[in-house]
Amino acid sequence: MPRFATLTHVLMVWDGPAVAREDAVLDQTRELDKFLAGVERRAFRIAQVALRDVDDALDVVQDAMLKLARNYAAKPSAEWRPLFYRILANAIRDLQRRRAVRRRLMAWLPGPKDDPDNDAEDPLENAADQGPGAPEMLMQAQAMQQLEHSLRALPARQREAFMLRNFEGLDVGDTARAMGCSQGSVKTHYSRAVHALREQLGEVW
Amino acid sequence: MDEHSVTTLQERSEALFDASVDHVDMRIRSRLTQARHAALAAAASPQRRFLRAPWWAVAVGATAACALGVTIWFGSWSGRPAASAGEQRPSFEDLDLIAATDEGSGDTMEMLQDDVAFYAWAADKTARADSGHTGHTG
Repeated sequence: MPRFATLTHVLMVWDGPAVAREDAVLDQTRELDKFLAGVERRAFRIAQVALRDVDDALDVVQDAMLKLARNYAAKPSAEWRPLFYRILANAIRDLQRRRAVRRRLMAWLPGPKDDPDNDAEDPLENAADQGPGAPEMLMQAQAMQQLEHSLRALPARQREAFMLRNFEGLDVGDTARAMGCSQGSVKTHYSRAVHALREQLGEVW
Repeated sequence: MDEHSVTTLQERSEALFDASVDHVDMRIRSRLTQARHAALAAAASPQRRFLRAPWWAVAVGATAACALGVTIWFGSWSGRPAASAGEQRPSFEDLDLIAATDEGSGDTMEMLQDDVAFYAWAADKTARADSGHTGHTG
């Protein structure tokens, strides 16, 4: 039984584990904040490419952040990236399914058809401003729009594999975890996606 | 399709995507920051452990608590002979007491402590009686 010189010493020893736990939780929160800050804009762009809607993209990214923070914050930080993109990919797929159902329902109803997938984008709107280098930015925006258009023409799994591997830089293992499939499937989807994009975009792109 | 054109496609698409990420406007950035803070706040919320419990666990827990309460209520009501018409009625006061007992309250512990004191007293009495009996015979 240890002897304690003062009451303060007793309280320090008594509070020790609780304080250590609080510090660990704070560290984890800071680390999670850093991780989310690093991926949020990329995740938003990936969602926007897939969904073609700013608000829907924001919603699915917010949902993915919330689910990761609530359910997987205690996991090692090395696992967050594939987990986050898995949650995001599932949310995007769910929303696309809901849209497909809504389209089928709307087809039965009279009146104007509301189809967010057919909204044409204006590359000029995506160019940030008209400062120096604006023509170059416009060219970039147009090239990106071509790429997005071709990506949307791909099957969903090929598009996911391409975006996770190429845009997000995940390796084959993490992409497989994010997509919930084998590494062999990732390689096949990715290879097909690259070849299809090359054909669609042409050699000059 | 040659390897060079594939590499070019990969590098160019990556560069274009990075540029498009850099050009995400301030309104979107602000909304993403708000979403991140909301996610972190939700993760730190004290209610999250309850909310994280699967719905079936909550349902099973609630059902078990109700079943236990009803069992205790009917068991105490039907398990002994009725001395009067008043005792035939279910004891709502008992049910209230069961329902009102907090899990963390000291009532249960106090009852246990009383029992321990009683058993200690009974054991002591028995030991004394035994030793007195032995003393008289020995």
